[in-house]
Amino acid sequence: MRAFALRLMRSPEGMAGLILLILLAAMALCAPLVYPGDPMAIAGRPMLAPFSDPAFPLGTDRLGRNVVAGLMHGARASLLVGISAALMALIAGSIVGTVAGFAGGLVEDILMRIVDAFQVVPGFLLALAFVSVTGASLPVVVVAIALGAWTGPARLVRAEVLSIRERDFVAAARTMGMHPAEIAFREILPNALPPVLALASVIVASAVLIEAALSFLGLGDPNIVTWGSMIAEGRNLLRSAPYLSIAPGLGLVATVLGVYLFGEGVAEALARRRGRA
Amino acid sequence: MDVPLLAAKGLSKTFASRGRRVAALQDVAFTLKRGETLGLVGPSGSGKSTLARVLMRLIEPQAGSIHFNGDDWLKLEGRALRERRGAIQMVFQDPLSAFNPRATIGSALAAPLRVHGFADGVAELLARVGLTASLAERGIHEVSGGQRQRVAIARALATRPSVIVFDEAVSALDASVRGQILQLIADLQQSEGLAYLFVSHDLAAVRVIAHRIAVMDQGRIVECGPTQDVVSNPQSSTLKALVAAVPRLRKGG
Repeated sequence: MRAFALRLMRSPEGMAGLILLILLAAMALCAPLVYPGDPMAIAGRPMLAPFSDPAFPLGTDRLGRNVVAGLMHGARASLLVGISAALMALIAGSIVGTVAGFAGGLVEDILMRIVDAFQVVPGFLLALAFVSVTGASLPVVVVAIALGAWTGPARLVRAEVLSIRERDFVAAARTMGMHPAEIAFREILPNALPPVLALASVIVASAVLIEAALSFLGLGDPNIVTWGSMIAEGRNLLRSAPYLSIAPGLGLVATVLGVYLFGEGVAEALARRRGRA
Repeated sequence: MDVPLLAAKGLSKTFASRGRRVAALQDVAFTLKRGETLGLVGPSGSGKSTLARVLMRLIEPQAGSIHFNGDDWLKLEGRALRERRGAIQMVFQDPLSAFNPRATIGSALAAPLRVHGFADGVAELLARVGLTASLAERGIHEVSGGQRQRVAIARALATRPSVIVFDEAVSALDASVRGQILQLIADLQQSEGLAYLFVSHDLAAVRVIAHRIAVMDQGRIVECGPTQDVVSNPQSSTLKALVAAVPRLRKGG
């Protein structure tokens, strides 16, 4: 594990991504300390331009809300939704993929047809439909995003499990009388995970973007600031006050970029370990 | 000792691959007594590995029966099978792929003990195959091939089997280590009364370890008898070819 961390540090992408993510996480964590209280409360004169008032480094929007406070609190929502949706998708996908790949036969057919059914619907539409039916709140948004994202990990894990289950160490586990569930989840699944972890970064990044898109369309949780809702509000003033859309937009770019670079570094470090082994 | 520990009859298995049907086992029968080693030799593709895997219940045959320890071995299913599986263990050809790549030696040996609820320790198992307990911390990748095969044997011993199947277990080892592992296998049989099915294409190794030899070709046992008789007077063309392939035998045997 330490050697893995070292290899990760040595890859420039991984390091850059890690720094970006740490900065964003620090931003999200410090938000209630630096700007206690509701970031949606009116804080000053409306439509202050950036860098004109030291109390509002990035200015205020048309209701007089502090843009920096919104950005920092918005980072919480974006990272929280992105990471929990990806985690949910990975866990659900890994379980379905392992069961399908290991059990085979009818169980595999049924599970994989369900995966197909989910995969033919674009993830964003699925999330849109789910949120509009159940009403917007943070947990609902997380589930909605995971709903469209679990199929990728499921297919990948199944493919890995199919090749791993033929290996001798699985035969050895069977001959020693190990329970099939234990073989599937303790012997096979951990060995199927590395490529899935590489996929995780793509899922986190797309989850952050889907969350922003949902908020942009007004289907996010209305009680919290998100970058998507900030962009949506800034859109009306795109000509007179572009900074209202650009600032949260840059936040999204930084998050997605950080996650991608970090994922790239992880994938590379994993590949190097495989090469050595 | 007259009732065999294990008796297989009429085992047949046909694999279908790309429309072609390959008979891996055709009406195979053999017996194994307590404390006895049956050497199973034959060219590649003769079905000897299939036979080993049928015995391990890794492959289901289409026909035939195996009586083992009073059980109808091929009829056992689910929990009953898992509980009794420990009685027949296997040592694989490539010890590297026979262990979970993430396992340490300690965790690999602890697994069968835990599954069967045995209280004895990993150190004890390591000692029985001539390894020190300090190896338990190491990863499977971090020890030599010979040590790894010793660990594989220790794992097979963990469930207290009465039969161990060696599937080309010494073929991948270099010559000096092979001798030591064969010695270990023979010593364990002496001290524990284990029965072995020793599958190999290496007649030299089989000759020193097996009491009886069965020769397989194209899914059939074509010749079977006490090692000395069979090797010194091969009847089948398969065995003649195998004997001819081991030049050392002419000098020594």
